[in-house]
Amino acid sequence: MRSALLLVIFGGGLAQTTFAPALRIGDITPDIPLVMVVLLALRRGPEIGCLSGFVTGLLQDAAGGGFIGAQALTKTLVGFCVGQVGGRLWVQEPLVQIPGLVALSLLEGIARFLLLQIFHFPGSFGDLMLYIVLPQSLYNGVVGAAVVLTLAGVERLRGWPSWR
Amino acid sequence: MRVRRFVLLVSVLGVCLLLLTLQTRGEGATAGQVVALVTTPLQTVLTKANRAAVGLWTTYLDWKNVRSENRRLRGEVEQLRVDSLRVRETEDENARLRRLLTLRERLPLATVAGEVIAREWSWARALTVNRGRGDNVLRMTPAIAPEGLVGRVVEVRSGTSIVQLLTDPASTGGATVQRTRTPGIVEGEPRGTARFKYMARDGAAIQIGDLVVTSGLGGVFPKGIPIGRVSAIIDRGSALFHYATLTPVVDFSRIEEVLLLTGQSAQDLAAHFPGER
Repeated sequence: MRSALLLVIFGGGLAQTTFAPALRIGDITPDIPLVMVVLLALRRGPEIGCLSGFVTGLLQDAAGGGFIGAQALTKTLVGFCVGQVGGRLWVQEPLVQIPGLVALSLLEGIARFLLLQIFHFPGSFGDLMLYIVLPQSLYNGVVGAAVVLTLAGVERLRGWPSWR
Repeated sequence: MRVRRFVLLVSVLGVCLLLLTLQTRGEGATAGQVVALVTTPLQTVLTKANRAAVGLWTTYLDWKNVRSENRRLRGEVEQLRVDSLRVRETEDENARLRRLLTLRERLPLATVAGEVIAREWSWARALTVNRGRGDNVLRMTPAIAPEGLVGRVVEVRSGTSIVQLLTDPASTGGATVQRTRTPGIVEGEPRGTARFKYMARDGAAIQIGDLVVTSGLGGVFPKGIPIGRVSAIIDRGSALFHYATLTPVVDFSRIEEVLLLTGQSAQDLAAHFPGER
């Protein structure tokens, strides 16, 4: 079980640089690790959310060639927070899934920007939000909802209890 | 349990901040290398898997598309074949018309070009040409092609004329062997050839391959228009006249356009058919 979990975490982290380009719409790709971290945190709690956020974020940082630790930090926070409050959310409701993931993605983007400001990151906040964070957040919402619905469908077919 | 969670969170955040701090102090390369040491092999494997999956999918799509593409290409090939035939036909027509135009410009008499719109190819041998009464075409108007004589108009209608071919059994005309100037009469034969008749015995020096042209006698055909080449000489022994079988210089089965000689000329037109000497 643990190895499967590790595989999911590592696979999800590396999927961003290997599989995500195939899902590109225009210039935007979904943040697959973030979606995965949120789903794992909802399912397995804040510890796994925190660790998966750290690992996937670290992998993304390494692949991106930027500040190693920035995404690891923000995703750790996202994983932990979602794991903490996730139990109170009815995440199979599409009305929660899409806006929830969009909001989380936006928050993660803002948090990352603020963190990078400490290190004198040169990008403009408006441009980053408008051209990267906002479109990617919307895309994440759609991808996340699709994954949640697919998992729920598979579990229903197999007679498993709800994925949460 | 709750405390453990927060300890974990703080530890992880601490590692992140440590990494970031190290980088600001110029130690980033080491941190990056350590992470890359773990990620590079995994990334390589995943990329290979991704490529294999994409390749498999592309192969499947190619295989799926190949049938419809094949069908489309077959259609395209058919269309191109038709187009090619059409182009070839247009080129042929162009060449024919150019030859006809050249002849028309060379001839010292009025002519009307006509297109063959029908053929009669049984007992009677005739062509229907799309020129009639309104085009100054009269009965007995000679019809020629760039190679030589075709025949004469035997019936004129409002928009068409019937040209009797010189191979029609009812067709006759004065002719001369161009080389020996032996006179005679050319008559059509049912088998599609022509016969050069009333050739005097002393003029029998003609040879196979000799060109027979119109003599200009009889007032129908101008002088010197090629009719055909001698393909056989029938020696009738002590008879007063011999005759020869001619192969017409014009291929009537393939003729598409003719020139109708609406004017008259007393000139020898042989010089205007340079290909038939």
